[in-house]
This record gives sequence, structure tokens and C-alpha cells, in this order.
Amino acid sequence: MCRVGIIGCGGMGNTHAGNLAALREIEIAGAADANLGAAKTLAGRFDGCTATDDAEVLLRREDIDIVVVTTPTDTHAQYIQAAAERGKHVFAEKPLARTLEQADRALAAVESAGVRLMVGMVLHFFPEYVTAKQVLDEGRVGRPAVMRTSRLSGHPRASDDWYANSERSGGLILDMLIHDLDLVRWYLGDIERVYAKSLTYRGLDHTDYALITLRARSGAIAHIEGSWALPMGSFITKLEVAGDQGLLEFDSESAAPLRVLRKPSADAAVPGVSVPESPVARSPYQLEAEHFVACLRDGRPFAVSPEDARAALEIALAALESSRTGQPVTIG
Amino acid sequence: MVRVGMLSFAHMHALSYADVLGETPDAQLVVIADENPASCREMAARFGAEAWTIEQLLNSDVEAIVVCSENTRHADHVVACAQAGKHVLCEKPLATTIADGERMIEACARAGVFLSTAFVCRYLPPIRRAWEMCRGGELGEIFAVKATNHGTMPGGWFAQKSLAGGGAVVDHTVHVADLLRWFLDSEPVSVYAEIDRLIHADLEVDDCGMLTIEFENGVFATIDPSWSRPGGYPFWGDVTVTLVGSDATVAVDGFGQVLTVHGRDAPSQWVHWGSSCDALMIGDFVAAIEKGQQPPITGQDGLRATQVVLAAYASAEAAQPLKPADLRP
Repeated sequence: MCRVGIIGCGGMGNTHAGNLAALREIEIAGAADANLGAAKTLAGRFDGCTATDDAEVLLRREDIDIVVVTTPTDTHAQYIQAAAERGKHVFAEKPLARTLEQADRALAAVESAGVRLMVGMVLHFFPEYVTAKQVLDEGRVGRPAVMRTSRLSGHPRASDDWYANSERSGGLILDMLIHDLDLVRWYLGDIERVYAKSLTYRGLDHTDYALITLRARSGAIAHIEGSWALPMGSFITKLEVAGDQGLLEFDSESAAPLRVLRKPSADAAVPGVSVPESPVARSPYQLEAEHFVACLRDGRPFAVSPEDARAALEIALAALESSRTGQPVTIG
Repeated sequence: MVRVGMLSFAHMHALSYADVLGETPDAQLVVIADENPASCREMAARFGAEAWTIEQLLNSDVEAIVVCSENTRHADHVVACAQAGKHVLCEKPLATTIADGERMIEACARAGVFLSTAFVCRYLPPIRRAWEMCRGGELGEIFAVKATNHGTMPGGWFAQKSLAGGGAVVDHTVHVADLLRWFLDSEPVSVYAEIDRLIHADLEVDDCGMLTIEFENGVFATIDPSWSRPGGYPFWGDVTVTLVGSDATVAVDGFGQVLTVHGRDAPSQWVHWGSSCDALMIGDFVAAIEKGQQPPITGQDGLRATQVVLAAYASAEAAQPLKPADLRP
């Protein structure tokens, strides 16, 4: 039996806690959040789970084996480091850190403590992306030439509105497009050059949008579109890989096999709405939790290594720099 | 009634333009001239026109000539038409060098004839509707645009540098570069591009690329002009534009009006049922000539798009964003 402590009890903290708790060998033992109410709410979902507003209190507990870090981005590294130094394995939400310096300190702590770290690059557990990877590995589109992805949503809102503070979150590129940057690296290999345009530094009200061009060492070209400019509740993803033998396409808009077209309520208090769904046997986050625990138990490598998480962070920071300076940035 | 001649059927769009001219009440397709005599006779017979030499066409009484020769030959042909006093509708890209584009524009201006570039995508009704929304302020302030003009690799002279002037980036950048200028009413000030040949073996030209363009008004945009649609794709390609504004995001697929048809053995196909942009463009061109007015899309528009292409090639070579060659008004 492994006992888990959650640091950061917002949306993702609750998601991971629920998915981990569903596993036989896991017990959620502690919840920490600067907002004690949020910690208590999470703790209240699990028998014997205690809440604190001080992460240090949770980190000092010797009965906790695994720490889940789901705080705002700029504090990920410090909690990873603190947990590692106390001999705890860590699951951290992406991105690994806000800066490469933070990331390297955290990775050094993980290395020297001999604990294990997995960063939540959850696209590795989404069946559409896993299947696309299989299709690519089978050579069905040949050698990849041009890859395009889109990840489009409304602007996220959370405590202190920290997503809107790019000093803390890194904006759309570091918070959300890190998924696609990691995906491009997963499919195409290491990246050589990045050129990006974004609204991140324009000081707009809850609006960000970015278009990123990447050149892989393999020669392949990639294009990433990201939006935090859609109406709240929208979420659209697209993927396309063109190779010398074919083309692979995915669009969440057309791959939603279930649609609820709800009429407005009689008094129109509840507006009419169309909600698409794509149900799968187990959610990507559930698969991610299972993978994390199984790899810890069996000593197997994680699907996403700490180095992969660092590489994605490096590309995201390069894209941010390019969008700030107007110049391409060479990686490594 | 505008008497029209066609100069060359090298570009396949000529077939559609000839069809459309036959259905345009105010136009009459009188003469077809092509350096390939067999093609010339075949097309003349098919469209009920005279089969003449280019020399004869230039000396005829047609008022306007549609030039659909290979890209690098547009300049000589358009200049010859201008010198013969004919208005010209030139297939895109207008030119493959700045010097060619400028000499075409100058020759037409000197001769007092109108020059228009065949940017048909402005006439796709879904695109035009998005343009109306954009220009009507429905999107608020425009921040960014994502555009594509994907296609299948056309082969033939399109893949010969000496005749096409380049590959996918020449062929498929100009339509969308023109759309962006038209949507934004602003000129490009910087172009960055990654360009390569990665999809089709043994091609002498580029077949894929990714352009990033920044406009004078601060809007940034990308264009994917790649020949990345394989032979088994259900359609020839796409023209898409996504506009991101402060009040709305609008995504338009210019050729999105299709039926999907599944054959017993043949690959599935998309059959376009949207309105013909060729008919709308030719109609506008003919109407302008009849009224003695400059058609809505100018030679300058053609040159601006060419500048983006040339800046893209130079940028890819330098791995740096560059200013389009010439932005003088």
C-alpha cells in the first residue's frame, strides 16, 4: 500500500487524487493547499485523509510515499525538490517548471535522492495520440514531413487568476502548448529550431493565441496552433501528419461520436446547448495514474521521462523567447 | 460584349476559365492561342473558338486576353498583350521575380490597359462571407490568422524550377498571401519560412513549407502551402483561413461544401457543390472591362503576393525573418 499526499487541491489535484484512489494499492493520505478550504474539500473525499494549509507539514510526514504536485506552474519545481529530498516519489503536473534553472535543480534533487519523477504529459495516454503514434511507427504515412496540431479553448481561470499571469504560468505556450511541443518531439524526435508568434506579451484581457513553427533534427517541419481565445467551455484539438507515403488526420470536432443537443429550459434560465462527447473505456488521466503506479511498483521506466519533460520545457521557453524577440531560437 | 482571347492552356485553370467564358453573357471567347498546336486545335474545337498563333491573337480585335501559360512565361506574354493594347487577366502567380512583376505592371500602365491577377479564392462565397464579417467588425480587433492552401503534388511543369519558378511555396502561397492582405487591409512587413522537399522523392523543387508573416498593423499569420495531400486524398487540397479576433474566432474552409462519395473499390472522394469561384471572378473581370474600369484585383496585388514568396525563399535560406523585397507604395 502506498500513501499519497496531494499538494495543490484545485482541479487537477482532485482529478489525480480520484484516479489514484481508484487503484488497489493507493490511499490518499494528505491534502495541502494554501487555501485550507480546498484542501479540506479534497481530503473529505477520502477516508483518513487529512488537510493542511502548509505543504511543509505534508512533506514532513513519513507515512507518505508519493507526492502529487498540482500547484501553479511557478511552484512545481520547489515542491518536486522538497519531496525528493524527503525520499518521496513524485507525480507532477506539467510543465516540469517555470524555468530551466528550476527544472535542473528539481531534476538534480530527484537524481541524488534516487526517487522517481513522472510529469503529466497526458497526451501519451490519449487513445487518439497513442493510435497515431502506432500508425506512424508502422510506417503507414512513411517518413513524416509536415506535422500540424491545434489545441484551442477558452482562457482557463483558477485561484488568484494565476493562468493570466504569464510570469507564473508562462501563458498559453508553456501551460497548454507544452502538450503539443512534447507531442511533436514524441513523433518527430529532437527539435532544432523554433519560431513563434503569440499574444502572450500583449497584455490582453484573458486572451492568448500562438502559432509556432518547429524544425526537427530529422528535417521535418511542424506547426502548432494554440488558442485561449475561444468561448469558455470550447475545447478543440486537431492533428495532422503528412509523410512521403500518406497523411494522417484527426479532428476532435468530427471525432465526437456522441452529441447531446439540449433544448433551452422553459424559462430559458438554462440555455440550449450542444455538447459533444467522445467516451472511452478509461479516461486518459485514469490510464496515466495506472501507468505511474504500475511503473513505480515494477521498476519500469515511465512513458515520459524527466528528460522528456525537460526537453518539452526547453522548447516551450524557446517558443516564448522567439515570440518575444521576433527571432528564431536554436535548441541545444 | 467583351471579345476575349486565351493565351496558353498550360495551367489547368484555363479549362475552367474557357468553360465559364462560354457561359458569361457579356463575354465571347473568340480566339485560343497556344504554342502547342495540337493543344491549341483541341481546345479551340472544344470551346468553339478560333485556333490561332500568339502573333495572330495579339493582332486580332479581342479586347482582353486571359494568360494561363507557365509561371515564368507570364511576364513576356503579359507584356506582349499590353503592347498589343489588350487588357489582361493573368493566372497566379503573377510573376516569379520582382523585376518581371514590375515590368508587367509598367507595360500595362504605359499601354493604358488593365491588368488583373486571377486570385480566385477571393470569390469563394464562404471566404467572402468571412471577409465581410472581418471587415464589418464582427470579430472585433483582429490579432492573428492561420491559413492553409494544401494540395496534391501537381507534377508536370509545376515541378520544374525553370517554368514554375519554385515548387509548393510558389504555387500555394500566393492565393492565401493575397487573402491575408485583403482581409487585413495591411501589408506584410516580415516573413519567416521553413521550406524543404520531404514528401516527393526526386522532385527538383520544394514540396513543403511553413510561412509566418507579420503585417504592418501588428497581426501575425501563418501559411502552410505544402503539397501534402497524397494521391488517395478525397479532394485536391484546401483553402482555409482562421481569423482570431477580440470578439470572435472565425474559421472558414473555402472548399468545405462537399459531398462524400464512396466507391465500391475506388477511394472515397469529396465532390464540391459550392459556387464556382472561377465564374464569379471571370464575371467581375468582364464586367469591369466592359465598363472601362480596373478589375478589382490588380497587378500590384499579384506582385505583393510574389514578394511574400520571394521573401519566404530568402528567409528559409537565411533562417531569419526578412522584409518582403519591396514595400514601396
